[in-house]
Amino acid sequence: MSIPTEQANAASPMAAEFEPRIIGFLCNWCSYAGADKAGSSQSPYPPNVNTVKVMCTGRIDPEFILQAFKMGADGVIVLACHPGDCHYKEGNLRAAQRYAMLTRILKQMGIARERCRFDYVSAGEGDKYVQVITDMVETVRHLGPLTL
Amino acid sequence: MKTGVYFCNCGTNISDRIDSEKVRERLESSGLMSYFTTCPFLCSEEGKQFLEQDLLAQQPDRIVIAACSPREHESTFMRVMGQAGMNPFLMQMVNIREQIAWVTTDPDKALRKTALAIKAALKRVQLHEILEKQELEASPAVLVIGAGPAGLRAALSLAEAGRKVTLVEKSPVIGGLPVMFEDLFPNMECGPCMLEPLMGEILHGEQSPNIEILTMAQVDGVAGYFGNFVVKVRQRPRYVDSHQCIGCGECFEPCPVSGPNSYNCGLDEKKAIAFTFMGALPNAPYIDPALCTRFTQGSDCTLCSAACPMGEGVVAYDDQEQILERQVGAIIIATGATLYDCTRLPNLGYGRLAGVRTSFELERLLASNGPTGGQLLRADTEPPASVVFIHCVGSLDDDHQPYCSGICCQYAFKYNHLLESRLPDAKIHHLYREIVSPGKEEYALHQAARHNPHATFTRYGAISDLTVTDEGGRQQVRLSDGAAIDADLVVLCPAVVPNADAGRLGELLDVSLDRFGFFEELHGRMDSSRSKLRGIYLAGACQAPADIQRATNQAMAASGFILSELVEGRKIELDPLFASVYPERCSGCKVCQKVCPYGATSFDDENNVSLVNAVLCHGCGTCVAACPLGAIKANHFTNDMILAEIEGVLK
Repeated sequence: MSIPTEQANAASPMAAEFEPRIIGFLCNWCSYAGADKAGSSQSPYPPNVNTVKVMCTGRIDPEFILQAFKMGADGVIVLACHPGDCHYKEGNLRAAQRYAMLTRILKQMGIARERCRFDYVSAGEGDKYVQVITDMVETVRHLGPLTL
Repeated sequence: MKTGVYFCNCGTNISDRIDSEKVRERLESSGLMSYFTTCPFLCSEEGKQFLEQDLLAQQPDRIVIAACSPREHESTFMRVMGQAGMNPFLMQMVNIREQIAWVTTDPDKALRKTALAIKAALKRVQLHEILEKQELEASPAVLVIGAGPAGLRAALSLAEAGRKVTLVEKSPVIGGLPVMFEDLFPNMECGPCMLEPLMGEILHGEQSPNIEILTMAQVDGVAGYFGNFVVKVRQRPRYVDSHQCIGCGECFEPCPVSGPNSYNCGLDEKKAIAFTFMGALPNAPYIDPALCTRFTQGSDCTLCSAACPMGEGVVAYDDQEQILERQVGAIIIATGATLYDCTRLPNLGYGRLAGVRTSFELERLLASNGPTGGQLLRADTEPPASVVFIHCVGSLDDDHQPYCSGICCQYAFKYNHLLESRLPDAKIHHLYREIVSPGKEEYALHQAARHNPHATFTRYGAISDLTVTDEGGRQQVRLSDGAAIDADLVVLCPAVVPNADAGRLGELLDVSLDRFGFFEELHGRMDSSRSKLRGIYLAGACQAPADIQRATNQAMAASGFILSELVEGRKIELDPLFASVYPERCSGCKVCQKVCPYGATSFDDENNVSLVNAVLCHGCGTCVAACPLGAIKANHFTNDMILAEIEGVLK
């Protein structure tokens, strides 16, 4: 059975006006603080990501991500502490394992892997937060709305 | 359900970008909001007073506060809620300053994002539950493992604060390694003299009734958690009643057997009944059952007991191993470290060549109570004419230990200073990879060594470049460029490494070790005297290579943490953000036990369900996500709450 894959529809006239809706899962200690750092340095970035704070990315049940897509998200981003920096020792590594597993399921569902991103942002990396969010929004904008 | 929204303008920080009136208009149709109030500065004194009064007047069931980052003022507003008689967990904060107003240039887009974020919070907060801080009774007593400088310092300080302390030491003596060193860097202070006041205070001082010393003992089991540990200690028999013994040593002479003395690295012999070394405290000998004929041959020898001027019974042949149980609220690990095994560098000849010694062996050879009474002599009884110190043995080397051990240069220069006076004609050679000598006092010994006309310094590239061989009874150290140095004595300065039993103790206490095998600290810079397990603290070289100053400082830090976290007469407050198991949903698969980083999950065999210990749980929620049956709940971060928040943004 061939798995349907998404085609980027940047060529469509809609793409430029399309505003993706993205859920961002941030951990309380590193990436949420990184987002705050981007805020205190007043570095602008696209407003398409609404964040959901969890104590640790280890709390993120892959089901949350699947449900987000089902409820209409065009993309989901999970931002964890860097390896070795996790406030809870290794929750970020659990999250990375679960993400690796989830990408296979997403592929089977025909959801482009670029729609679900996992990355590491520390409390000091406000610039990286801006860059990762900007990149994510543009990537999803390029892919167009997700239709399931 | 009555739900209020408090929108803080934060002066103009938020209102410059986001018009609260337009936010209110957008939210009104949601049906989730009962009232919406805009405040100029909610965290100011006036703002907090307003919030308290308004909560009292409105009596809402839930509130949403749209303001700065919760990292900034969530706890401020939670306190105000408490003052207004409202459970502080019935609030959700929305970060519209750092994450919207300050980073979104287009006001329309900022408005849309804000409305979505508040709607998500409104959906989430409906599901919030009343959470109360739980309190637990706790024992103020403390167990200290290891009676080196760190353990002694901590034990005495805690006892001075009125705490009952149990000090467990695996060897028959207290004082750790420095008690065997007669000259300490950086000031050539005598180790036993420096420690004596501390040890004397612990053994006989005003606080001694508060300190129970268990020598020849080790921790064999630990159950429980912060505030309520039950510790099993196994104490080997000493065969001498240390309370009645006066430490005169009359019993040694008649003892018919002797064997290698491990405290002098096997360089001399000791009797089956002996002190570990002269001046050891507690001042009582012990019988080594591996030597005494009563134990090795089943003899009925009583020569030592017969020689005891205190009479029968002080030497107690029927002394038995004891298993003791102690209840404590906190545990300090102060088990120290050891030296890298130099036989792992066969090119250096240690263990094979008689003239190659470790720095620790040199320490004992130089000690007045050591195997030679402090005399440094060759096999032909002539004093050594040439001594080579090889620094960085096993340190700064990816094939061995990659880190710098930090103390070796200091003691090498100390030896340099000692040899200058004891062997004034001897040539001294320092072969090093790096010289490290920070600190306000440490430069002096380094400079003295540099100015010593008999001393040379040569830097080598890698330890594998050096070869030590036997050349007609002398050692020859060859460098990579072919140069050779003849040496009567080669002293290796090995890396400081974790004790061999650190792994066993770590498993017993459920405290993690770092990649080198040292006990892992909570945070390398801010929290190096707390382990990652609540209630277990670290002091000294068990956490990282340490000198005495660092070790005792850490002991004081650990003691300070205990005095502030485990306050006598005060119950332990538990953060309500812990996980708990719905027993009816649990299938007993134990996945939660595999993923919990804190050993907070256990299994109830009788009822076939997992349990989460709220004291040990840090509230990360990893087990909640791992549970295949959704049988674990994370307080304040339930699946329903998180999904409601997502739904609020998207639907």
